Amino acid sequence: MRLQIAGIVLIFTIASLSLQAEPWEFDKPIAVTSTNGKNIFHHLESAGRHNIAISANTVAIAWEDDRDGTPRIYLARKAHTKQNFSNQLKISGPGEAYEPSLVALSKNRFALAWEEESRIHLRIVTPTELGPVITLGKGEAMQPSLVSDDQQLLLVYSQRDGRYPRIWMQRMEIDGQVLKVKQACAVDAEAAKDEQLYPSVVKLAERIIVAWEDRRPGHTIIMAAQNENLTSCTFQPPQRISEEPLSSGGMPYGKGHGVSRVALAQYGAEQLLAVWADKRDFREGYDIYSADYEGASKDLFGPNFRVQDSFGGVAQQWHATVAGDQSGRLVVGWDDNRNGNADIMLSWREDDEWSDDFSVPGADGAGEQNHPTISLDSEGNLHLAWIERQTADGPTRVLYLFGQLVK
Amino acid sequence: MRAVLLLVVTLFALPVMAEPPQGYPFLAFDKAMQQARAENKLLFVYFGRYGCGYCEKTNKEAFSDKQVREAYSKNYVLAYVDSESGKRLRLPSGERVTEREVGTRYNAFVTPVFTFMTAEGKPLLRLVGVQRIEDLREADSKVQQFLKKKAKP
Repeated sequence: MRLQIAGIVLIFTIASLSLQAEPWEFDKPIAVTSTNGKNIFHHLESAGRHNIAISANTVAIAWEDDRDGTPRIYLARKAHTKQNFSNQLKISGPGEAYEPSLVALSKNRFALAWEEESRIHLRIVTPTELGPVITLGKGEAMQPSLVSDDQQLLLVYSQRDGRYPRIWMQRMEIDGQVLKVKQACAVDAEAAKDEQLYPSVVKLAERIIVAWEDRRPGHTIIMAAQNENLTSCTFQPPQRISEEPLSSGGMPYGKGHGVSRVALAQYGAEQLLAVWADKRDFREGYDIYSADYEGASKDLFGPNFRVQDSFGGVAQQWHATVAGDQSGRLVVGWDDNRNGNADIMLSWREDDEWSDDFSVPGADGAGEQNHPTISLDSEGNLHLAWIERQTADGPTRVLYLFGQLVK
Repeated sequence: MRAVLLLVVTLFALPVMAEPPQGYPFLAFDKAMQQARAENKLLFVYFGRYGCGYCEKTNKEAFSDKQVREAYSKNYVLAYVDSESGKRLRLPSGERVTEREVGTRYNAFVTPVFTFMTAEGKPLLRLVGVQRIEDLREADSKVQQFLKKKAKP
């Protein structure tokens, strides 16, 4: 009898282990830049968390650090066949620069947008050259985010328009290493009623979808809008995609719960996921939530689902990042302190369900590992970069990890 | 005259979105750290959020108290951090962070959180959630007693 019970336990354990098995086998982390040390602080921050991208056989990572006393944008690249990253390139100009957004073009080329001196700047980087810098924006502009189909670059950003910042979309044509400025429009045709911040953009066949943080109801919500005619720059009226929790009624104070920093990613042929940090359960702080794009004019996005598993509980989850590939693979990352310090965690979707949370080996353990940014290459391999620091105020490092697809 | 009156009413009606309570000299976190160092005072840091209901409740029901206002304005350098804001700050270490990152580091995963801390940013006492007048008075009293004890030779 005892033997039978042991056998059943073993079967369940093996079954559970096989369900838990992660799709990637991870290498050891490597440093993205050797410029580290006292008083140098690296930041992997951008609207939509696009700080890593893969073009052909090159992975590129863009970040900001203040090694010479001024925050500037840097880019490092690594061929898949190489062990280490190349010497980094300084991308930004003489001013204080922040929040670089990176997108892959074809043939090992990349485009970057960043904020410098309260204006949006862009340039293309080829394997051998840095393209000319373009400066955009009439007023105070910030939080750029990019997407590209290789012919066209779409930029979204937040630009002050009167009292409040408002989300704008700018079309650009790619001509070799030169960007040509085309049509631009406000994503919400109506003047901003409060702040519109941190946009993210995706292009699905003939549609463009933009999501952003919006404070119009007196608290922060996630809104999205869609353009269905690529020759025009007119978006349909925006819709709220972060739901109001059922338990929110009856509170005599405040306007509503908090949400923070939406990121979009395409997966499959025409599917799209939005993820963000959401504080609808006020006792548990921010959790990672998602919504799938449905595309209907009435419901642009479907119901909200919590991505993380229940073991996250009262732990903090921050900095949601999402990546998908053409085969339909979809993975969400974030940093999470359930083990007592910040670790990078992943959850991927299998059979329409989110996996158990997975602490990434090499991006967990002692010290702090946070601000993840992820991308999937055309073969489904996972590329992850994050910020690591051993003490709260200590120096930072940018680290990179490759996950080989194994199933 | 009517227009001026309307403007005044509008201006007073605006700060209802759970920002720092009125009548208190709240500063940005980095400025408050500098001032706390210069004045050799402790920091009292209010981690709030735009639209935060429990912040608004605490503002109306506890920070409105005259004794609380006098004690906190006198004893501490006051800092307000919007835990969802991308507003940039520069810490004494030279690191540039956003208000949201300051909230992350000090575990402001719910709002409001109130933290008494040294001018260097070391937390001493933390109050989580809605506070009553007596809670704020008691916390001030505890911190002041701690300082007195510490000052004794």
